[in-house]
Amino acid sequence: MTIRRARRAVQILTLGMIVLIPILNRAEITFLSGTFYSLAIGPVWITDPIIGFQTMLTSLRIDKALLLSMVIPLAAAAVLGRVFCSWMCPQNTLSEWVDHLADRLSSKRMFTFRTPRHVRTAVTAAVVLAAPLAGFPLASLLSAPGIISAQTARLIKEGAVGAEVILIAVILIAELFVARRVWCSTLCPVGGFLALFRFRRTMRVALVEDAQHHCGRCHACDEACQLGLAPMAGDIQPVCHNCGDCIDTCARLQHGARPLVFKR
Amino acid sequence: MNSKPLRPPGAIAETDFLATCIRCGKCAQICPYGSIRTAGFLDGPVMMGTPVIVPRSKPCYLCMKCPPVCPSGALRREMKRKEDVRMGIAKIDDKECLAWQGTLCRSCYDDCPLFGEAIVMDKELRPVVDEKKCVGCGICENVCPVEEPTIKVRPGGRT
Repeated sequence: MTIRRARRAVQILTLGMIVLIPILNRAEITFLSGTFYSLAIGPVWITDPIIGFQTMLTSLRIDKALLLSMVIPLAAAAVLGRVFCSWMCPQNTLSEWVDHLADRLSSKRMFTFRTPRHVRTAVTAAVVLAAPLAGFPLASLLSAPGIISAQTARLIKEGAVGAEVILIAVILIAELFVARRVWCSTLCPVGGFLALFRFRRTMRVALVEDAQHHCGRCHACDEACQLGLAPMAGDIQPVCHNCGDCIDTCARLQHGARPLVFKR
Repeated sequence: MNSKPLRPPGAIAETDFLATCIRCGKCAQICPYGSIRTAGFLDGPVMMGTPVIVPRSKPCYLCMKCPPVCPSGALRREMKRKEDVRMGIAKIDDKECLAWQGTLCRSCYDDCPLFGEAIVMDKELRPVVDEKKCVGCGICENVCPVEEPTIKVRPGGRT
């Protein structure tokens, strides 16, 4: 099975849960509740780390439950890299789909550029610092996965969505016509914050050549990368979110001899 | 929406609430009555996404399901008893209130969830709010038969 197939299954399951959880909640089955801002699986709480962190900054208060609920996503990011982004984030799923749509329409984007590797980190820092100045958790309005899940829940519960969804529409239109996958690769503060928790042993894509595995310099992996990175050249952090598309492509062309692997 | 909105039970003081609420919508999601609405764009970017209660369309029935689900502590999770809630205080406009104007009416008194405590009837059968007991749920405002309710909750005001 290719990595992509497993990933698609998880992505579809995630989209399903985004719809199912509010429906179950409405029927007063509340074992699972919440959104990608903050999710409750029974007694286990999971909060988006940037949302939790900026809230502590703006409120000048450390809520123990909030801090504790950030542990699971941070641990996952530290061990597996940003698999949340590539395997679960509904914005990434939508953006991937829009990217395929752009291929079909042969949409020429207004700008093509090599993905700058540190702009997203700078955006993240700006958002986190602006939140206490604004006096409210600004990142909440910029969390695409949060907005998609919370507004779906709101649609199911209240029959209406808020202006927050405009951001999602803007992202998708921009990615279709202005610059390829620009939100995830260059702007998203949620991904930017998770990327801060990457360490030496964090899972990543690596080019490992030995007697059996060698790179033919075909650059098919560059083509496969939606985020505009060059996995073969190695300069892919902190943008790469471990989607594995490059590894799949490499495996297809090189069979067992693929040099691109997930490495810890 | 007027300047200060009515927040769900257990909400901390308004300024702190705005800084602490992560706009996740969990309280609205859990509310079995659909009493908790979400503030929109027109309420301003600071307000957008925060939970509000509009008693005239649906008051809080004090089931106390929302405070324990708040991930950030914007709603005090330890708030368990409805008697401890302090969302606001109901105020009666005695110039317009039917009972105060001599017509027999006891809608707010009858439906108050702290029956006989937060709203009492005086000797002349006029409702009077006990500000120490009133939790601010807005049920009285919801049931007032006058077109422009003559009993209204003033949000916050104490913690």
